[in-house]
Amino acid sequence: MKASEKYFGEFGGQFVSESLMNALGELDRAYEEAIHDEAFLREKDYYMKQYVGRETPLYFAENLSREYGTKIYLKREDLNHTGAHKINNVIGQILLAKRMGKKKVIAETGAGQHGVATATGAALFDMECTVYMGEEDMRRQELNVFRMEMLGAKVECVKSGSRTLKDATNEAIRTWSQTVEDTFYVIGSVVGPFPYPKMVKEFQSVISRESKKQILDAEGRLPDVVMACVGGGSNSIGMFADFLDDLSVKLIGVEAAGLGIETGKHASAMALGKPGTLHGMRSYLLQDGDGNIQIAHSISAGLDYPGVGPEHAYLRDSGRAEYVSITDTEAMEALQELCRLEGIIPAIESAHAVAYAKKQAKKMKENEIMVICLSGRGDKDVHTVIEYQKQQRR
Amino acid sequence: MENRIEQKMQALTERGEKAFITYMTAGLPDMEGCKALVKAQENAGIDVLELGIPFSDPVADGPIIQNASYKAIQLGVNLEKVFALMKEIRAEGVEMPIIFMMYYNTALHMGLDKFVEECIGSGVDGLIIPDLPLEEQDDLKEALAREGAPVLIQLVSPVSAGRIPQILEGARGFAYCVSGMGVTGRSGSFHREILRYLTEVKKVSKIPVMMGFGIEQAKDVAPMKEVIDGAIVGSYFIRLLEANGYKAQAAQEYCRTFKKELNGLK
Repeated sequence: MKASEKYFGEFGGQFVSESLMNALGELDRAYEEAIHDEAFLREKDYYMKQYVGRETPLYFAENLSREYGTKIYLKREDLNHTGAHKINNVIGQILLAKRMGKKKVIAETGAGQHGVATATGAALFDMECTVYMGEEDMRRQELNVFRMEMLGAKVECVKSGSRTLKDATNEAIRTWSQTVEDTFYVIGSVVGPFPYPKMVKEFQSVISRESKKQILDAEGRLPDVVMACVGGGSNSIGMFADFLDDLSVKLIGVEAAGLGIETGKHASAMALGKPGTLHGMRSYLLQDGDGNIQIAHSISAGLDYPGVGPEHAYLRDSGRAEYVSITDTEAMEALQELCRLEGIIPAIESAHAVAYAKKQAKKMKENEIMVICLSGRGDKDVHTVIEYQKQQRR
Repeated sequence: MENRIEQKMQALTERGEKAFITYMTAGLPDMEGCKALVKAQENAGIDVLELGIPFSDPVADGPIIQNASYKAIQLGVNLEKVFALMKEIRAEGVEMPIIFMMYYNTALHMGLDKFVEECIGSGVDGLIIPDLPLEEQDDLKEALAREGAPVLIQLVSPVSAGRIPQILEGARGFAYCVSGMGVTGRSGSFHREILRYLTEVKKVSKIPVMMGFGIEQAKDVAPMKEVIDGAIVGSYFIRLLEANGYKAQAAQEYCRTFKKELNGLK
């Protein structure tokens, strides 16, 4: 295999221990075979429709459009089974695991949505499932911990480092390198060593495939702007995928600015990050002066990651997509605005995209069109919202 | 051939002796204490020393080395300070080969050319980078193509299988065979096919074959003594140092005993 296939420009690659190299090669071969196999695709489509509930609506948000002054459509990934886009990827990977004869799966999780999705898929296909989750995230997302346990998964509490997604991922990688002979690692975002960024993108690209068709049906033309939030970047890559070649469509990825980029307490790998290697990939990372990885900060556990998928790094450098950031406060305001205007409680992650939509809309005309990926619902965040509101009142 | 590791390997082969290699995290318990430990180990007759450069996300390491790495970072240990330490060690007459065991990002962050220059200037003889498999080594190898640059030690795993000849082609110093799957410091968990795998490596390798990960005492490698040319101890050694307050004497005794037993294995 040529090295270039494993890279997006200078980003990506396979920075993992020797013990994983054969497994990654085997995974890539199995994946390529599967996605060219009609039977696999039929089975995947069946579960996407009957189990996940696809296709999801592309909803014209009339009130939000009036308020913000441009036409806004929401791609309702929050309506998927388990409440977010994460299940799209999990069904794909678990069916692949099944095809490869694996009976055990492991996963890392930040907000818990990928963990819940993996636990769900494992229950459906009768697999043993262990999810690695940082202690801090287990506290912030207690509800999702219970959900995973109800679904029969074992949740391993990770107490090293920042006790969030970064460290949960380290622990999952360590475990995988010990158990790779019989275990499938279900990575939840477009991160990690090749072929994960490629594979997760393919499984998430259903978001933009549907959206494109839906917007053409509704408006008879392509949107002017397509937008999604970016942590590792799976919902955004899924939302961008089918529009990448439509150069008239502006692609915007919204990272988490936490307390503000200038405070250093943020999760915007591409705002000030420098390329480096972590979790098997070369990409933009938050690092200190010694090349140690810095702790990310965001009110949203799902965006609280110091790196970003390698294809996003490439899209940024090539100028095809633009990356911006939104603070905790801006995201929480947008969350409440969407609740009141549209009766939709979004995940705090997705609220980052809604918050930037408000800014972007000011640069747009009334009849221009913006599509936002509403990647998940906010049920899991109610606890965080209550805490946030209490703090605001003080 | 000027490289200290290669000179040492050749001398050991000529004497029919097995190599004993230890790993310790750089800068623990502090810079002076670390220096004393290096000297004590050289006196005790270890053949090569691995110095671990602390990194925030050591995915190839188990809890013992993770904690040591974390502690070192808290103490402010970084690559620049370890280079300074190396210069002092060499100036004070330590002649044994020293290898940096590190994660790729630490070198990348410094810039590969500057990193290699510092290695040459401070007497670093080898590099072990567990998150840099063969396919990703081109950039570093290019930077290492200089007079006096350290050699890049190749790691082999029990599941490397068909990759073994490729990995060992052009490999220098010694082949580092990982004893099991996964991370450092899992005692008594050698891979079920360890002997078959080591034999496979030995057959292909033109350089000495070392075994590491999960080794505590010389007797642990007794079943492999006909196949391997030496043993590497990391996590257990760190645990021992911690239990003894990082006293040089404890390190010296352990190293002396291990080296003696390793070469007297029946």
